[in-house]
Amino acid sequence: MNWDAFLIGLLPEHFLLAGVLLLIALAIVSKRERGASALALAMVAGAAVCAAGLGLQGFQGAPFPAQLSVSPAGSIAKAVALVLALPVLLMARDEHGDGGPFYPLLLSSLYGLVLMFGSDSFLTLFLGLELMSLPVYTMVLLGARRTPNAEAALKYVVLGGAATATLLMGVSLLYGQGGTLALEIFPRALTSKDPMAVTGAVLVLLAFFLKGAVVPFHTWAPDAYEGASVPVTAYMAAVVKAGVLLAALRLFGEAALSRPMVQLLALLPLASIVWGNLAAMRQPNLRRMMAYSSIAHAGYLFLAFLGNGPGRFQSVLFYVLAYGVMTVLAFAAVPGHADEPQRDRLEQLKGLFHRQPYAAIVIGLAMLSLAGIPPLPGFIAKFLIFREVMAAGHTTIAVIGLVGSYLGIYFYLRVIQYMFMGAQVAPVQGEVPPRAAAIVASLLCLVPAIVIAVAPGWVLAQF
Amino acid sequence: MSDALLLQIVLWLPLAGMFALLLVPTESHATIRRLTFWAMVLQFVLVAVLYARFDPTAAGLQAATRVPWIADWGVYFSIGLDGYNILLVLLTGFLGPIVVAGSATAIDKDVKLFYAMVFLIQFAMMGTFLAQDLFVFYLFWETMLIPMFLMIGIWGGERRIYATLKFVLYTAFGSILMLAALIYLVLSTQQAGGVTSFAFADLYKVRLPADVQLWLFAAFGLSFAIKVPMVPLHTWLPDAHVEAPTTGSVILAGVLLKMGTYGFIKLGFPLFPDATAQLTPLIMVLAVASIIIGACLALVQDDIKKIIAYSSISHLGYVMLGLVSLNLIGIQGAIVQMVSHGLTAAGLFLMIGMIYERCHTRDLAAYGGLARLLPVYSVAFMILTLASIGLPTTSGFTGEFLVLLGAFTAAWTQHLAGQSFALVPAVLAATGVILGALYMLRFAAKFLFGATKAPAYHGGPLGAGHELPDLVPREKAILVALVAAVFWLGLFPDEPMRKTELAAKEYQQLVQTSRLPGPATAAAPPALATPLAAAAAAAMAPGSTR
Repeated sequence: MNWDAFLIGLLPEHFLLAGVLLLIALAIVSKRERGASALALAMVAGAAVCAAGLGLQGFQGAPFPAQLSVSPAGSIAKAVALVLALPVLLMARDEHGDGGPFYPLLLSSLYGLVLMFGSDSFLTLFLGLELMSLPVYTMVLLGARRTPNAEAALKYVVLGGAATATLLMGVSLLYGQGGTLALEIFPRALTSKDPMAVTGAVLVLLAFFLKGAVVPFHTWAPDAYEGASVPVTAYMAAVVKAGVLLAALRLFGEAALSRPMVQLLALLPLASIVWGNLAAMRQPNLRRMMAYSSIAHAGYLFLAFLGNGPGRFQSVLFYVLAYGVMTVLAFAAVPGHADEPQRDRLEQLKGLFHRQPYAAIVIGLAMLSLAGIPPLPGFIAKFLIFREVMAAGHTTIAVIGLVGSYLGIYFYLRVIQYMFMGAQVAPVQGEVPPRAAAIVASLLCLVPAIVIAVAPGWVLAQF
Repeated sequence: MSDALLLQIVLWLPLAGMFALLLVPTESHATIRRLTFWAMVLQFVLVAVLYARFDPTAAGLQAATRVPWIADWGVYFSIGLDGYNILLVLLTGFLGPIVVAGSATAIDKDVKLFYAMVFLIQFAMMGTFLAQDLFVFYLFWETMLIPMFLMIGIWGGERRIYATLKFVLYTAFGSILMLAALIYLVLSTQQAGGVTSFAFADLYKVRLPADVQLWLFAAFGLSFAIKVPMVPLHTWLPDAHVEAPTTGSVILAGVLLKMGTYGFIKLGFPLFPDATAQLTPLIMVLAVASIIIGACLALVQDDIKKIIAYSSISHLGYVMLGLVSLNLIGIQGAIVQMVSHGLTAAGLFLMIGMIYERCHTRDLAAYGGLARLLPVYSVAFMILTLASIGLPTTSGFTGEFLVLLGAFTAAWTQHLAGQSFALVPAVLAATGVILGALYMLRFAAKFLFGATKAPAYHGGPLGAGHELPDLVPREKAILVALVAAVFWLGLFPDEPMRKTELAAKEYQQLVQTSRLPGPATAAAPPALATPLAAAAAAAMAPGSTR
């Protein structure tokens, strides 16, 4: 063990772990449910600041050689994911109270997430991936105000388990062929001709497709998103997706792809883009719609893996940030409702502009950004990805992807149509006026969004 | 104050105005209107100053600013005035206050949001014309979509949702393909020359194989042709125009459609000269089809807004014809025709809005003999109608006459060279003038003359009682300004045309010079192109502001 790297390089991890322990201690000691939200927020913010600092300083080290290392790119990725978690924590206060199991669960999930970005072997990667996923299964159940939750959580657990099994199978094949668990065996297998290595690599990739909800492994997402509470949905859509993608990125590195791999990496994401955008058109509520939207966005993100060299990391990280910020923004601004399942029915959003103009404008901006309409962050992110894909010589794939993204414009605009073009509706029964925490959460997303839109070059220079 | 700074203010003023509106209470409609109006007036004054200072003899960009924006990708925030955009910028600035004044009593729902959107549209349109960097151009081009989507969708007529979705989905499809082509174009520049640049001046030098040019031109051209719109991509236009509020129609007809033709003259044709040469016959056929079909459709409409909507298709067909004629007179005529159509169509839509505000119907059969009821209105209407037909002394004559002259001159050379069908498009286009007179005069005759009839007036902000109220001073002022502009361009066209002449020559040169790869085969660029390009490059060098 390398003490220096352990103490300083793993500061984000230490903050999160301390947070988990303190939260559990608080729950035991304190009689009343108070202070958990603030504590969690402080710990995650501390972790994010440390990660950003380490990344910008260019800290490099290996606390556990061959298992866990700290690199500037990994630290920046940690910072991005943790920053996305902050508004989620703020939103959760209204939804899950100021105590209880939600906060320690979320922090342990984040702990798993940051662990993945530093992993050097499949062992650590697997540990991180499971530690990130397991708490989320429980979190889906936590918004227990409606019955289908259990079904959603179960579906998520079963398919999550399938993903785990697939990953393990793939890793064991890779191990059998390469004789090591170090992550380098994956990029080597990508171009290898050995059927065992290729099968292993494909199985690992499919596990990530499953976790990232890529067609045809996407069926759990709409139910899980719909069943979960709004903050948990936001967490799954923005942070967990960021975790899965950035972990896959760590796996791929800057490796070149063989031709069949390119086909696999083009076909399923393209199908994901097209199907996600088509199916989203018919969804009755925002959470389900955003689930299909996230399926389409998983498609864009995996398409970026077709790019070559350092551009791959930049485009994925930038996209994850732009997409995550806008997704959380949309969820943070959705007005509360006394009857939880009613909350985000698109019908409820009719005429929202006349009742809560700020919420309507903010959701509108998020929708336009997700649709990729300039000059919002989503456009620049999409531009970056498709530029990378084309620069790698896959012009046809990029064009199909762009045309697929065109299919998505309609359903995002439909949300705006409901909010702005509906008749002036009288106050909706049960709608809750905007809460301070939600507004702060939306501002936490809005500020980075504006920075990305105004100075994308500066943001990219930090990656 | 330096010209570059003035131009910056012109561009950013509407955006600042939009944010300033946030500070005004939602209910104080009068303040919101006043703020918007005076901001637009200020913008027009600044534009007029820049226009007056524009030097027609200087090649390259004037009042230019170029600052690095996304350094890694070679994107510069680059804007400037040149012969291509000077008249369109003037038109956009001129229509700004008119649009605001024209909507003073018509809009009473979500007033603040409405004027915020007017500001945003103005910002996006100015930006589109001023941009000298392809990435920036695309940003502004697309930004246009959002406010227009809301404008038609919120303040439009009964089928507004259908119309606005149709408008957005049509336009966005073109834009997506343009985006793909844009990325490809810049990547190939990078591979060929080693530098990544989105600057128009650099892109004009790119050499591409014929098939690549054809694909890229198809993508860019489709996007622009939808915006123009050219037959057969025009079906969104009547719906958008009919359902849009008056302000939306005025902006659409006045400026927005010109973004399409501007896209062709600035990007589509000069970027891909070999593809253009190959596709000229097709574009000519489509332009003539637009002229004839637009006119024929306008002839049979009963909805007064639809008549003007279809006439727009016809008039912009002339612009396209002038641009592909590649004859200097034709190109100049096309530029003038863009401005002229912007004035007449915007004016006619405004006048339709005025009568609609009083009578709440657009059915032509409901009106008659308005000349007796609304004398001032009728005089202005007649002038704009005649300008639209192209009567000498009005702006329409300058534009259409020059386009046809250019088309005939170009066709005549080909005719003498033995191409027997060369004259056909020009002859057909000329018959479009007759059709134009036919539908506009039919409209004016039924509308202004004949038995006096008009739907009952039920009172409103324009006047009490049941008498159809005559124009209020605000409306008269708008019409006087528009009519004056129409005569200015009709009687004194040489001054504005001098300012566009160099650009027209450069355009002609760019489109006529083949840019296939292989440095040995291409002839040395003709004398004119070299100093122009050199001066443009000098003007766009980082840090230089002129």
